[in-house]
Amino acid sequence: MNTHVLIIGAGTTGTGIARDLSLRGIQCVLVDKGDINAGASGANHGLLHSGARYVFKDGEAAVECRDESRLLKHLAPQCIEDTGGLFVAVEMDDDNYIADFPGMCDKYHIPCKMISTREARELEPCLAPDLKAAFAVEDAVVDPFMLSLDNAADAQLHGTTIMRNTAVTGFRKENGQITSATVLNTRTGETQEIEALQYVNATGAWADTVSAMAGVNIPMIYSKGSLLVTQDRINQQVINRLRRASDADILVPGGTVSIIGTTSVEIDSLDEIRPTPEEVDSIIKEGAVMVPELEKTRYIRAYAGVRPLVSTQNGQGRSITRNYTLKDHLKDGLENFISITGGKLTTYRLMAEKASDIIARRLKNYEPCLTAERELPASKKGEWTEPAKSARLWMNKKDPKGTLICECEMVSEQMVNHIVDSLKSEGARPTLREVGNRSRIGKGPCQGTFCSFRLASYLYGTEELVDTEGLEQVREFVNERWKGFMPLVRDKELMRVELQESFLCGLFGLEKEIHDT
Amino acid sequence: MTPETVDSKNILPCKLAVIGAGMAGIAAAVFAANRNIPTVQVGRVSEIGFSSGCLDLFATLPHPEVRSEYSQGEHTCSGSTQAFDHPFEGIEHLVKAYPSHPYARLTRQEIETGFDEFMQFMAGAGIEYHCGTDTNPRIITPAGTLKSTWCVPSFMQEGSRAIEEKKRILIVDIKGLKGFGALQIAQNLKKILPGVQGKTITFPGRETSGDLHCEHLGRDLENPGLFDRFAQTLMPHVKDVDVVGLPAILGIYRFDAARHKLEQVIGKKVFEIPTLAPSVTGMRIKEASLSRLPQLGVTGFSSLVKQIDMDSDGDFMFNVTRGLETVTVKAKYLLIATGRFMGRGLVVEDGIIREQLMGLPVYQPRNRSQWFHRDFFHAQGHPINRAGVETDACFRPLDIRGKVFHPRLFTAGSLIAHQDWKREKSGAGVSIASAIKAVATIAEQG
Repeated sequence: MNTHVLIIGAGTTGTGIARDLSLRGIQCVLVDKGDINAGASGANHGLLHSGARYVFKDGEAAVECRDESRLLKHLAPQCIEDTGGLFVAVEMDDDNYIADFPGMCDKYHIPCKMISTREARELEPCLAPDLKAAFAVEDAVVDPFMLSLDNAADAQLHGTTIMRNTAVTGFRKENGQITSATVLNTRTGETQEIEALQYVNATGAWADTVSAMAGVNIPMIYSKGSLLVTQDRINQQVINRLRRASDADILVPGGTVSIIGTTSVEIDSLDEIRPTPEEVDSIIKEGAVMVPELEKTRYIRAYAGVRPLVSTQNGQGRSITRNYTLKDHLKDGLENFISITGGKLTTYRLMAEKASDIIARRLKNYEPCLTAERELPASKKGEWTEPAKSARLWMNKKDPKGTLICECEMVSEQMVNHIVDSLKSEGARPTLREVGNRSRIGKGPCQGTFCSFRLASYLYGTEELVDTEGLEQVREFVNERWKGFMPLVRDKELMRVELQESFLCGLFGLEKEIHDT
Repeated sequence: MTPETVDSKNILPCKLAVIGAGMAGIAAAVFAANRNIPTVQVGRVSEIGFSSGCLDLFATLPHPEVRSEYSQGEHTCSGSTQAFDHPFEGIEHLVKAYPSHPYARLTRQEIETGFDEFMQFMAGAGIEYHCGTDTNPRIITPAGTLKSTWCVPSFMQEGSRAIEEKKRILIVDIKGLKGFGALQIAQNLKKILPGVQGKTITFPGRETSGDLHCEHLGRDLENPGLFDRFAQTLMPHVKDVDVVGLPAILGIYRFDAARHKLEQVIGKKVFEIPTLAPSVTGMRIKEASLSRLPQLGVTGFSSLVKQIDMDSDGDFMFNVTRGLETVTVKAKYLLIATGRFMGRGLVVEDGIIREQLMGLPVYQPRNRSQWFHRDFFHAQGHPINRAGVETDACFRPLDIRGKVFHPRLFTAGSLIAHQDWKREKSGAGVSIASAIKAVATIAEQG
């Protein structure tokens, strides 16, 4: 396979670069070892920063956020819920920090308006009663899935080939050039060579893993951040705690839920990125200082992402810059390989532009970048997602007609048929996981106890499943839900787990080999 | 023997009060009635409605690993399970692996007596059970797995027999009845039971409706016309099979009669397969047992008990409601069979698992992060499953120092620590056996 540019990593940066380059007329192949936004791009708050969050620590980042968020609100409104945001301080928070905040915003021309605490509590009745300061800012909410899917779709429209489940396993090099990348289809096990003129490493936390295959080391620090999704939407605007960045100080609304986070836990390996019960407890405890009802509310899921931080000096976790890192690798002796990592969801477009500028220049393409002017077309693929809701592609539609497979989220047989057809047209097998990724099945209060099983029964009935594969898939499906639910099991959730286990293990015996009776 | 009647102060004295309406509570009340102990049984809802209808004894040993209790921080070690065809042989292995298991306090004879008395009671209530002689019978689950159990109710009996005799089984599902797939069952079983096939039919009068429920279909079948049409729908498919398996749609009360009638019409043996919640088979057990108990002289209250006090005689006192009336029960002995989290026998406060009613000490993992394995299906079973109330040899709860909490306070069922009924397939067995031991002790003490 031949192309001008091979882009590795289909997060917001990778899809953004694919669109940017293809709009300049450059042919691209975009590969990801998993799916679009499978990494940190899909496991974050979905917060479009006004910049106010960074005024103390990183003025440059604050200005970039200010400009990019304005651009995106204008160019990709379908991905954004322009909620507005608040910065609030409670009794225990540092007075000096509060006093300096409006001046710092002013310094970077980031709109920030002091409002009375009464007004803040009128806007957001969920706020703590001991509020002592509040400021209104221009924060908003962005759906990272829709954003990446729309970028991917527009890139495809302009000639980009997208390959999911395609992992780079090695590079061939010759005279300071990468000549080809070996890629493995993780579903079929087939490998092939992709020959490109330029190679872009946009793999986020995996930047070092990929660059190491080309013989280049990028010193990374992996900072895991966990977030919790509430069952109901608690707030209308983004609520930030006005203090030095710390755990659980941002509550972001999105669709019908709210998301509280994050933590910052340094981890050594990317093998197992999952939230822990300790993190959940700490998020709830900290978050409740700002929004007391977080203590009592019901949560439906916990998830975690890894911030890809490149260690420059001796900083750790939050003190390392959140700004992006763009390496051209010339010093490493490679002429056609760049890595771009770090950064923020809000500034993804700018990152893509900077990376694309280098690549275009190297290819002697002098077309201007168009992404700062041209609207991002809303694609049909994005319709499967719901604003900033969680780390999967969810079909938001509810269809209470016909037999319901998923009673919690009202997913009917007809809708499943629709998804099965679309999967098959893409050449994919309709497994529980695939149908789950494209619908809200399993995301409601039963967390897959009944619906995963009903879905399996239904797919057996339509002869999509044979042998014992459906039960294997139920196990996999339940465990995927368990990953995000286990850390949240605190009290009443135990009833549900008990019921689930009494069916899946007590009655079906799914903890055993399927025919070990 | 019925407790004395309510006196002028609305106080109802009795010898034994059983709190709980699940398997353990019902069994305790039955055993007490069999021993002429004046008994009040209190409980509102229970998980028995979710039951498959079978009575498990023991089938699977989750291997405990080399472990110091709950000390491992990461539950990533892979475990293994061992299946036992002979439950009593398996129990010997179980109590070696888990020396504090409730079965370790029971003899085979005690367990068998409990099952005998309970099955006799259920027969009187209208549900005949067939017990394994030495090996566990197996039933077909709606997942298409086989489940080993100990006592199989009449309505599943032919299925069990067909499995052992490897007969040609037709599993039938009904269009619109979700969560029960004949093809799913047939596909999953085909390697071990090649004679199983699946067929979907439409239910007469409900050909086009979306969501069907077993309970409604049961009511439909009480209509002779619909019943006949249903049987005729089945007819063309049963020619080349020996036995027909249906989801449990033959009603909550007259299921035996319905089955016999169907067998006559189609000329084949019929059995039912339990379905997911709401489970008709579980409702059968619940309805039959709770309506039978008063006939044995047990006074029942469908009420929630919030608090237990002691009066000056040293008796247990608590309030129950019947309609608008509040009655104070005064009991010499108290047996709590309030179950686990679903029954709210166990609750969590500030991250600590507590026994709800009496504040009994609860054996439990050190903290919340050690409750569960990361793999939901980890073969070892989740550590939290063995949390519960620790007892002495006749199932009297222990206090924090390991002494009997109160000489006349007993417990039974899933509230007891050191068992994992879901993984061991020992739910009914633990309930029945602990109940009979506790009640026999009460009978002896007089």
